[in-house]
Amino acid sequence: MNGGIGRMRLIGAVFVLLSAAIVYQMVRIQNSEHSRQLVEMFAKTYNQQVRVIIPERGNIYDRWGNLLAGNKEVYEVGIAPQQVINPETVARDLAAVLEVDYYDTLRKAESYRKEGNERYEVIKDFVPAEKIRMLEEKVNAYEQAEKPKKGPAPSLVGVFWRPHLIRSYPENELAANVLGFYNYLDRWTGRGMLGLEEQYNNLLAGNKQQVILPMNPTEIQEIPEIPPGASLITSLDRDIQAAMERIIDQAVEANGAESGTLVVMDPKTGEILAMATTPHFNPNEYWRYGEVFPLGSYFNRAISQLYEPGSVFKVLTMAAAIDAGAVQPETPFVDVGAIEVGGIWIYNWDRGAWGPQDMVGCMQHSLNVCLAWVAQELGPTRFYKYLQDFGIGRYTGIDLAGEQVYPLSLPGDTNWYPVNLGTNSFGQGVAVTPIQMITAIAAMANDGKMMAPHVVKAYIQDGVQYAVNPRVIRQVVKPDTARTITDMLAASLENEASNALVEGYRIAGKTGTAEIPGPGGYTSMTNASFVGWGPVDDPKFIVYVWLEKPTSSPWGSVVAAPVFSQAVEELVVLMKIPPDEIRQQLASP
Amino acid sequence: MNQRIIQAYRQAPWRVQLQWIGLFLLILVVGMLIAGVYLYVSGRAAETGARIKSLEMEREGLAIRIADMRTQLALLNSSQVMLERAEKLGFRPAQREDLVYLPVEGISVREVVFLAPPPAAIQRENKLLRPAYTQSLWDLLYQSAYQFMNTRGGQRP
Repeated sequence: MNGGIGRMRLIGAVFVLLSAAIVYQMVRIQNSEHSRQLVEMFAKTYNQQVRVIIPERGNIYDRWGNLLAGNKEVYEVGIAPQQVINPETVARDLAAVLEVDYYDTLRKAESYRKEGNERYEVIKDFVPAEKIRMLEEKVNAYEQAEKPKKGPAPSLVGVFWRPHLIRSYPENELAANVLGFYNYLDRWTGRGMLGLEEQYNNLLAGNKQQVILPMNPTEIQEIPEIPPGASLITSLDRDIQAAMERIIDQAVEANGAESGTLVVMDPKTGEILAMATTPHFNPNEYWRYGEVFPLGSYFNRAISQLYEPGSVFKVLTMAAAIDAGAVQPETPFVDVGAIEVGGIWIYNWDRGAWGPQDMVGCMQHSLNVCLAWVAQELGPTRFYKYLQDFGIGRYTGIDLAGEQVYPLSLPGDTNWYPVNLGTNSFGQGVAVTPIQMITAIAAMANDGKMMAPHVVKAYIQDGVQYAVNPRVIRQVVKPDTARTITDMLAASLENEASNALVEGYRIAGKTGTAEIPGPGGYTSMTNASFVGWGPVDDPKFIVYVWLEKPTSSPWGSVVAAPVFSQAVEELVVLMKIPPDEIRQQLASP
Repeated sequence: MNQRIIQAYRQAPWRVQLQWIGLFLLILVVGMLIAGVYLYVSGRAAETGARIKSLEMEREGLAIRIADMRTQLALLNSSQVMLERAEKLGFRPAQREDLVYLPVEGISVREVVFLAPPPAAIQRENKLLRPAYTQSLWDLLYQSAYQFMNTRGGQRP
């Protein structure tokens, strides 16, 4: 009996010792340096996932909510080599659907078996959704197919696809010169280039955020909701933009011009309703930028290309002189065909003498001699003070990337000569951009108040829409002066039965023809322009047309004025502006 | 005498053994119950966690799909496509001469689009996960106790 108990105790002791040994070993292994490193490695590799969350890039809309720039779903397709069952099927199907190299894909699919590669291999990025549907169909077909008796079954196990967004411009070329583009092929470092995309890149992009997410499902952590980038609502009107692009394209072609620019602005707010320039560019294929815009050419001529504007500049000279009281519309002037300014003789565009004129006649016949005399009457101090107030030589501050400016030469500057007073008065020897000109002249259509030109009308951030209010740059001339200039220019168009006139609407406007300087002085090539606004009693639009180097005729009155008229014909329809007579009838009680 | 009294009141050895076994089994059962509850709760938490992760991925995917659909819709309604569709249907762009203007009482000019509410609108915090999914037992007890302490004697206005 005692012997039995003794054996039992011995066995018990053995088990206790064994258990103790196991526990000891467990504790020892658990606390060993190697174990600690292993746990750390696993924790680092598998316990948490580091993700960079890129917020959806904000959309860009026109003023009515039509999408001009949005985002499109594409996929990144890759292989997890250690999960691949049938490398041949993977390589064959991916090569067929994604149009990738079969042998390269096969090498990647077999890399785990042959080299022990466990790294995820990207096969192709930016794959359209249609291709992914094709892959999904193949996956379903393989799952439903019967397994072959010999060899591995065809399978796409180990192939993964992950969606992400890329920039997309549903209107293609429409307003591309205003929108700019986003270089989405640089997926992690892409940024907005030119136009609105560059100007508002930070706002559109939102804030990237890096988050560390636990892989352990019991450690639930909410993925922070990263708000999308801000969306922009522009002042552009899609239909007006499309119409203006069509008109300027036709004008460039019909007149054999090198380029064309057509800007439509609301003079009372400074909102840009349309900004059309040539050549066009499809921002969905931004990598072709160099083909469309070779070195030295301009993406958006309306804000970037400086040129001598010619006689459209006379509007500013005359406005300054009338505002300062130097002349009145009825002030007489006898044009003898030439005037000496700073020791240099200045002539009219036709080298003719137009005899007795008043200021309306001077503007109507676009007499350089008369305007040079007006500038002299005004004097250089006041003349250049007005030009600076009109923003000549200064940035307009339009909210588009790439605005250029050329400094205005002022009396006392080394590059200013007394003759500049004469030549500047009719828009030669001074370089401006179309946006500078339309901004300055728009003051005439807004009781002398110059409004800051802008394209963004509102923006949406964190689900709230914020309005961008119009901003007055300054009261550059008195309201009476602005109305006087408007009446003078309306009368001058009517007197000469201009090509710019639109039946039923009273329009004010001015042509411009400027010779283009070359290496040896002025050439025979011209810049033909027209600026006009209307209806004169309540201006709703101002339109600036510029054709560069037209070959059909050098004159703004011949090539640019009809383009203006055509633009206004469409504008009054699209903006639903009734003819003056009907509008006045509707307005009267 | 003393020895006899002790013997009279002493538990029989088999009863002592039974009590020890009973106590051991009780501890074992309680331990198993706790372990079972723990396993059940852990299992549910893991399942919920996996579901949440899956739903979050689905939400991300849906956000991408929505953005894509919005762009696809814009493609179908783009200026060029609409023009072509209108022409196919026999329409042509209206000219100035085609228009007839009629005074209509109460009609207002077309307003610029509002795609989101203005800043005055009330903003609500929109947390996706309720705190119950992320707080520990200790957090729950502490919070409940805190609430209890604060609400004793009536709710705050």
